[in-house]
Amino acid sequence: MEAHVVSNLIVAALVFGAAGLAVAIRRNRLWSEALRELARRRPIALAVVALFVVVALLESVRWRSEPEGPEAGDTVSRFEARSVVDRMFPHDFREKSYSAPLAEVEFYGGAPLAHPRSHLLGTDILGRDVLHQTLKGARVALLVGGLTSLIVIPLALFFGVTAGYFGRRIDDAFFLVSSTLMAIPGLLLLIAIIMALGRGPVQVCVALGITSWVGFARVARGESLKIRELDYVQAARALGVSEPRIIVRHVIPNLMHLVIITFVLLFSGLVLSEATLSWLGIGIDGSWGQMIDQARDELSRDPIVWWNLVAASSALFSLVLAVNLVGDAARDVLDPRTMKEHR
Amino acid sequence: MRGALRRSAAVLFAAILAGCGNDPYPLEDSLEKILYQPFDDPPKTLDPQVAYSVVDHQVIGYVYDTLLGYHYLKRPFTLIPGMAETVPEAIGLSDGRVAYRFRLRPDLWFHEDPAFEKFSPGTRTRTVEASDVAFSLLRVADPAVVSPVIEALGKISGLVDFGKRLDERRRADPEFAALRIDEQYRRAGPVDGVRVLGPLELEIVLDDAYPQILYWFAMPFTSPVPWEAIAAYDGVDGRESFAEHPVGSGPFVLSRYDKRSRIVLERNDRWYGVLHPEWKAPAATYPSEGAPGDAEAGLLDPDYVGRPLPFLSRIEFRREKEPIPTFTKFLQGYYDASGVVKESFDRVIQKGELSPEMRGLGITLAKSVEPAISYLGFNMDDAIVGASGGERSEKLRQAMSLAIDSKEFLRLFANGRGLPAQTPIPPGIFGYDAGYQNPFRQPDLDLAKKLLAEAGWADGIDPTTGRPLRLTFDVGDTGAAAMLQFGFYTSRWRRIGLDVEIAATSYNQFQDKVRRGAYQIFTWGWVADYPDPENFLFLLWTPMSRTKSGGPNTANFSNPRYDALFEQMKAMTDTPERLAIIHEMRSILEQERPWIENFYPERYALYHGWVRNEKPAGLSIPTAKYLDIDAELRALRRAEWNVPITWPAWALAAILVVVIVPGVVTFLRERQ
Repeated sequence: MEAHVVSNLIVAALVFGAAGLAVAIRRNRLWSEALRELARRRPIALAVVALFVVVALLESVRWRSEPEGPEAGDTVSRFEARSVVDRMFPHDFREKSYSAPLAEVEFYGGAPLAHPRSHLLGTDILGRDVLHQTLKGARVALLVGGLTSLIVIPLALFFGVTAGYFGRRIDDAFFLVSSTLMAIPGLLLLIAIIMALGRGPVQVCVALGITSWVGFARVARGESLKIRELDYVQAARALGVSEPRIIVRHVIPNLMHLVIITFVLLFSGLVLSEATLSWLGIGIDGSWGQMIDQARDELSRDPIVWWNLVAASSALFSLVLAVNLVGDAARDVLDPRTMKEHR
Repeated sequence: MRGALRRSAAVLFAAILAGCGNDPYPLEDSLEKILYQPFDDPPKTLDPQVAYSVVDHQVIGYVYDTLLGYHYLKRPFTLIPGMAETVPEAIGLSDGRVAYRFRLRPDLWFHEDPAFEKFSPGTRTRTVEASDVAFSLLRVADPAVVSPVIEALGKISGLVDFGKRLDERRRADPEFAALRIDEQYRRAGPVDGVRVLGPLELEIVLDDAYPQILYWFAMPFTSPVPWEAIAAYDGVDGRESFAEHPVGSGPFVLSRYDKRSRIVLERNDRWYGVLHPEWKAPAATYPSEGAPGDAEAGLLDPDYVGRPLPFLSRIEFRREKEPIPTFTKFLQGYYDASGVVKESFDRVIQKGELSPEMRGLGITLAKSVEPAISYLGFNMDDAIVGASGGERSEKLRQAMSLAIDSKEFLRLFANGRGLPAQTPIPPGIFGYDAGYQNPFRQPDLDLAKKLLAEAGWADGIDPTTGRPLRLTFDVGDTGAAAMLQFGFYTSRWRRIGLDVEIAATSYNQFQDKVRRGAYQIFTWGWVADYPDPENFLFLLWTPMSRTKSGGPNTANFSNPRYDALFEQMKAMTDTPERLAIIHEMRSILEQERPWIENFYPERYALYHGWVRNEKPAGLSIPTAKYLDIDAELRALRRAEWNVPITWPAWALAAILVVVIVPGVVTFLRERQ
C-alpha cells in the first residue's frame, strides 16, 4: 500500500478514535467535568494545541490529482500525493533563493520575485516558502510526540504495573533494567539506537520511545504498589477475582489521570528532543528542528536572514508552551489531591 | 608601611595598564620580519614521507627542502630546480625503461640536531648527499613507515619488491629487525631503480615512462632525511618520535613545536640560499619573470627581483579554534593573511570586490581558482544510469547534466566563489581551455527534456511503471547544510521530470555502499597532487575503477578508446600532440557524461598592506620564503587599530562607586 494511503487511514482511525473518545467522555461525568474545567482554565492554550492538531491532520490527508493548468509544476509533483496544506498554497510557489517576508525582490541580487509580496514568512535558501515549511513541520512534531507516546505509555504501563503489582523477582528485574537504562546518558543512547536502526521517522520515534519510558514506568510502579494494598483491591482478591482482571479493572483505571498528565508532559519533551537530534543531523526531514539547524549559518550572515529561524522556533515554542500549559492544568484538574480545592 | 602600600599599588596599576593592550605577541618582536599565521587542527605528523594533509605540509614544506620546486609566479605550474642543479631529462634505456639523473648542489646542510652527535660525536650536522635522497625513497617503500604514496613511487624499478623483502626479513629474523635502520635498508637492498652514482649523483630508473615522477620530487615525500634522525627518534623508551621531531635541510628550522598552541619556524642560516647567494639558484632567488598580469600586480618589484630568499626571519603559527575570532585578529593586524569567513562575507566582499571598509584598512584581495574539481558522478555499472543502458542511458545522463546550473549553485552555497566546470581539468593545469564550453554543461531545461523524450522517458515518465523515473542520489552526509545542497541538485532534476531521492547515510555507510557498488548518483571532489592533467584524467581510467579495484574511478567509467588515449597521454610531455589527445579524451567524456563536472573551487585570500609579493598557489606548496613583511608599517597599523576603549571600564567603576558608597555610609552610620 502506498504511503499516503496509510497516512490517510491513520488519520481516519485517529478521527474515529477521537469521536469515540468524545462520546465516552460525554457519558462519564468525571472526565467531562474535567475537560470542561480544563477549557475554562486554559482556553487559549487548548485552542493553540487544537490548531496544531488540525494543521497536522490536514497535512496528513493526501491524495493525488492533476494540478490545474499546463504550467502547474513538474511531472514529478503530478504523481505525488499532495496534502490539504500543500493545496492551500499555489502550485510552484517558490523562488530562486532567499527572499524576506513580503518582499518584492530577491534577498541577494535584487531580482524580481515570481510571487512578489505573497511569501508571508519569506523563502529559504532553495526558495521554498517558509510558512509552508513551518505548517508542514507541525505534522512531524505531532508525529514524534504522538507516535512515541503510543510506544512509551503502553510499555511503561505494562512494566510499571506488573512490577508494582506483583513485586518480588519481577520488581527486581524491572529495577535492574530501568536502572541500567537510566545510567546510560540519554543522548548517547539515542544516537546509538538511531545509528543502528537507520534514519527515518519511525526509527527516531522508536529510539525516543526506548530512551524515555523508564520515568513513567517508575511512577506507575509506585502507584500500583499503593493501589494493590487498598481495601477494594484486597476485597476483590478475597472474592477470588483473577489477577489480570484486578489489574485491568481496578489498578489501571486508577492510573489514568497519571497517563494523561504524563502524555502531555512527555509530548513536549519529545518534540524538543527531536529538535536536538536534528541539530545533530539525525532528526526527521522537514521537522522544525531541521529548519532551525539549517538556519544556523543564516544567523551569522550579514545582513542577517532571520525568518527561517524565527518561524521554526516560534512554532516550536508555541506548541511546547501550549502543551505544557494544558498539561499543567490537566494535572491540577485530574489529580485527586488538587481536584477538590478548585471545585 | 605606608610606602610599601603605595609601591604595591603602583605595581598593580602598571600591571593593569600593561594588560589593557590586546597584543598577543611580545613587544620585542614587533619590528621583526615575522609572518603570523593561524592554524586550526594541528599537524598529524611531520614525517615527510608520510604527511599528506595541507596542515602537515604547511610546516614540513619549510623544514624539508625538495630536489625540485615550482616557479613561484608562472602558471601553468612549471618545475624549477631546487636542491638539484637542474630539472633532469628522461633518458631512454636500451631495455625500454626510463632513467632520470639528479645532480645535487654541493654544500647542502642538514639542520643542526643532537641526533648527529649520537652517531659521530662532536658533529651537530652534516652535508646532504645523494644517499640521503635514496634513503628517503627506500623509506617510502618501507611497510613500517606506511607512506601513502608508494602507489605512485612504486613505478621506480624494484622499490615495491624492496618493501616486501624488508618486511619478510623483519618477520623472519628478529635480529635483523633490531638492526639500525640504515643497516636494515643496506642488507635488504639494493634497489635496481635507485642508484647512487656518486656523493651528489642519483639515478632513478622507472619501469615505464612516467614523466609525472618529477612532480613527486617537488613534494616532501622525496625530501632527503638523515638516517641518524630516524635511528635516534624512534619514539621508543621515552625517546622522541621522528614524526614530532623533524630534521630537514629547508629554509626554516622548527624551533618550537607545541601542537596545542604554537609552532615556530626560524630562518635557517645554513640553507644554501643564504650561504651561496652568488649561485642565484632558482628556488632560492626571487624570480625575474612571471605570468601575465604579475608585473601589474606588483609581483615583479625591482626591489625584490633577483634577491636571495628568504626575506622573513620567522614564521609563527598560532592555534585558533574558531573562525570568527581568527578573522577579528586578522582585522586587528595580528595575522597577516586570512581567508574570507562565510559569516562576514558580505561585509568583506561586495559585488566581487573588496568592500570600501576593507580597502580603507589597506587590505588586498587575491582570488585564485584552485587546481581541484567538485563533480557529480554516475555509477556506470548501474542498469539505468550506467553504460549497459546504451544510448538511452547516455541521453539520460546528458539531460541530467544539462539540468544542473553550477553558477546558481555557487551563488547560493559558496557566495559565488568558484568557476562552473566544463571538463575534469581545472585552470592552472596543462589541457585547461578557458574558451571551451561543454555543450552539456550549459543549463538548458528544454533541451534536457527533449533528450529525455528521445531516450524514452518523455516528461520523465518511465513507461514500465507509468510514473516519473525514480533514481537515488547516494550521499555520505546527513547534516542539514549538506542536505540543502543535495536538495538543490534533486530539485533541478525534478524540473525535467525525474524523481531523484536522496539516500543520506553516514559517511562510513556510504563508503560501504560504494564498495558494494550499490549506488546510482554520487558527488565527490578531487584536489591535484601535482599539476598534471594525468592526475585528473586518471579518475576515469578503467584500471582505477572503484568497484573492481578500489581505485578512485568511482564512476566505474570504462571506455577502451579513452583508456588507450590515457596510456598514450600520460607518458608524454606538454606538447601540442598531448593537447590534441586531451581534447579527444574531453570529447569522449563530453558525450558519455560519466560525470557532471560541477565547479572548480575558488579561494579568496586577504592580505594586509604590509605583506609583499603575495600570490596564492592553490597547490599545497611552501610560498612564504618569497613573502616579505614591512614590520614598521605593521607596528604602526596595529597601534592605530587597537586603541583600547576604556569608557566601559570607567562607567563600571562609576556604577560600583554609586552602589558601594551609600552602603559604606550606611554601615558606618549604623555602627555609630
